[in-house]
Amino acid sequence: MGLLWLALLWWGRDDGGDGMTGGTRAPRKVRKVRRVRSVRRVLVLCCPDWLAPPTGPDQGPVPGQGAAGQGAAGQGAEPGARAFEQVVATVEEFCPKVEVLRPGACAIGVRGPARYFGGEPELARKIAAAVRKIGFSCQVGIADGLFAAELAARIDQPGPSGQPGPSGLIVPQGGVPAFLAGQPVAALGIPELAYLLPRLGITTLGDFAALPAVEAANRFGTQGVLAHRLASGLDPRPLAPRPPSVDLSAAWEFDPPVEQSEPVVFAAKSLAEHMHAQLAASGLACVRVQVQVHSADGRQLTRFWRHDGLLSGLAVAERVRWQLDGWRPGGPADGSPAHGGEVPGPGAAPGGITLLRLIPDQLVRAVGRQLGLWGDAVVSDRVARAAVRVQAMLGHGAVTRPVLAGGRSPADQVLLVPFGDAGEPPRPADRPWPGSIPAPVPATVYPVPLPARVTDDSGEAVSVTGRAQVSAPPTWISAAGAPVRAITSWAGPWPLTERWWDPARARRQARFQLVTDDGSAWLAVVQDGRWLVEASYD
Amino acid sequence: MGAKIAQVRALATVSYAPAAPRISGRGDQASRSPVPGSPAPEDVVLPGQDFLPVLPALQGLLPSAGLQRGQVITTDGGGLLCLALAAGASASGAWCAAVGLPGLGVRAAIDAGLGHDRLLLVADPGVAWPQVVAALLDGCDIVLLRPPDRPSAQLRRKLEATARRHGSVLLVAGEWEGAQTRLLVASREWAGIGAGHGRLRARRVQVVAEGRGAGTRPRAAWLWLPGPDGAVAPAADPVSPDLASPRPAAVGGAAVAGTALVGTG
Repeated sequence: MGLLWLALLWWGRDDGGDGMTGGTRAPRKVRKVRRVRSVRRVLVLCCPDWLAPPTGPDQGPVPGQGAAGQGAAGQGAEPGARAFEQVVATVEEFCPKVEVLRPGACAIGVRGPARYFGGEPELARKIAAAVRKIGFSCQVGIADGLFAAELAARIDQPGPSGQPGPSGLIVPQGGVPAFLAGQPVAALGIPELAYLLPRLGITTLGDFAALPAVEAANRFGTQGVLAHRLASGLDPRPLAPRPPSVDLSAAWEFDPPVEQSEPVVFAAKSLAEHMHAQLAASGLACVRVQVQVHSADGRQLTRFWRHDGLLSGLAVAERVRWQLDGWRPGGPADGSPAHGGEVPGPGAAPGGITLLRLIPDQLVRAVGRQLGLWGDAVVSDRVARAAVRVQAMLGHGAVTRPVLAGGRSPADQVLLVPFGDAGEPPRPADRPWPGSIPAPVPATVYPVPLPARVTDDSGEAVSVTGRAQVSAPPTWISAAGAPVRAITSWAGPWPLTERWWDPARARRQARFQLVTDDGSAWLAVVQDGRWLVEASYD
Repeated sequence: MGAKIAQVRALATVSYAPAAPRISGRGDQASRSPVPGSPAPEDVVLPGQDFLPVLPALQGLLPSAGLQRGQVITTDGGGLLCLALAAGASASGAWCAAVGLPGLGVRAAIDAGLGHDRLLLVADPGVAWPQVVAALLDGCDIVLLRPPDRPSAQLRRKLEATARRHGSVLLVAGEWEGAQTRLLVASREWAGIGAGHGRLRARRVQVVAEGRGAGTRPRAAWLWLPGPDGAVAPAADPVSPDLASPRPAAVGGAAVAGTALVGTG
């Protein structure tokens, strides 16, 4: 008997337990729950043409990123993810528990809000209107279960009675199997099955759901079981709403306003520790921390610093110090490292600082952080600190790291990426680039080529014909207004025609190497009849 | 050139001799002895080491066969010589920063041996360049600098002190009074290119090092800078290698325009 009981319990767990309408369930009621199995009704909001709006002035780039490799992955998706926060915040006004599926799609449980806002259609209409009001297009779908709701949200349907209502579909309760039956198997989002099932004569989810679940498991394994559950309108998992956006910021008011930055930095340390304690108490971590500084004359300086749950209170205080140092227009006029403790000169921080606020941004559940076993810390802390400090002084783009790119001219072969960003070269460097200048490569590559005048013996400008014939040997050169020098040896012209199919980036030039009488060597090009010095070999 | 160097030597001996013990802290003999571990290029630069390694071709030019931490070294112009000086340390794992060198040829630097993945570029430091340099001296082992303006004596002393405090090396492309070592390209000629034919293949230069303290004695070396593959290699003396009969000094740019004449290689 005991064995039978155990088997029943196990079976109940396996089958009914992931209806997961919430809470633990007594095994005694397994059968009953199975019968009235109700998958939770879910509303999914999709923004189909997800375009990141321009970031505001206070949402600038993120300095202070720690490990290069870790931050690189998140950096690319950031603008979209950040802008979607606005949409999520709007949806949160209807229901506080929002699950962000990905940037561009989020889901809420529909039961409570629908009752409050007067029915599902009304709720869908209100949410869509609110999201459109902040400038994003969206589609709203409601169905039993996340999968069906997401599919319903993607269905293009004109709004009711021609008004700009939600496109998307509201699948009535219990109508999910019928709704899914007409969908193609590609909707499962499993490429393998989307390819295989039509070849087996199964084109719609209805056909697939009609198969016995056991057969799906036999033939396609775990993935097949999952797909079969989806196709039958059963949900593989419940909603996981994102952490509540409680106010975890910490602020410190200075009364009277302080002129020096040292007390602010000192306060920042204890503030940061307070913030970290609050975050830890909620089991959260923040990706970034926003440092807000208000001055007495009403100005406000806001900057985001990457945190990733890694910074100590002292490290946050250090970033506050850098931010304050960067704020002072002139900075200290000597070569000493900019100490925050110095008294700012008159007019530096007018009226002093009245408020310091630390706001954790992009809260995520603190799941710990596994650093790579090796090769992760590419940039040592010491270097990163120095680079971030300079970025705080001069701006994010002022400190760059070179990334090799492909190209035929020396200027094309290097891409400068701001420190902390991950840059993909537009052209891969490891391809053959026929027509590039052979080694040795120039030691100085002018960011902007210098205009030059190259003449022959008689003082006539040297020109190159379309057939790469030079009019006369170049004898004299004067680059960027420098004095005229005699050319002792030269080589060229080497013609180059690049990207003729793209009028904006097409380039047609003839290249020369010139050696002048002072021993310097130049890489010069003739383009559109004009001479330019692209690089110097010295 | 010989006369000039003798003059510089005399000047250096007179004016800087008292400072010598303070700078090097050891005798000539001791500082010229090879630094343990520095020649092996695979070695990681240890923070505790007194010297940063340089390329083997450049070792003869420096009094200690390496870059002494806390030192200021100048080169004329921001060209390949400056990059080559930093290359040896960079290949051993040191971080470099280049301030005020917007035209730094990264490809040429890589060919010379500099690791581009350990290179920070601050192309335009603006008026706050002393703070930028100070911050980078804290973080990086070598800072290449072309000062946007002429620094005052007080500012120079502060930056030198910063370099000493953090044990980093300041390589200045340009003038810097009071530098421990100055490297000048005394003579240069390109090989492989003719009048309308060939191409630039290699450049043979004579580099002269002048200094104070342990490096008072001028040293000179012939180098391929760059060699055919862009690397820096020692070159054999040309047929008439004589310090006393000066080859056209291309140091001053326009100043020697009238007299300069280079034979093609």
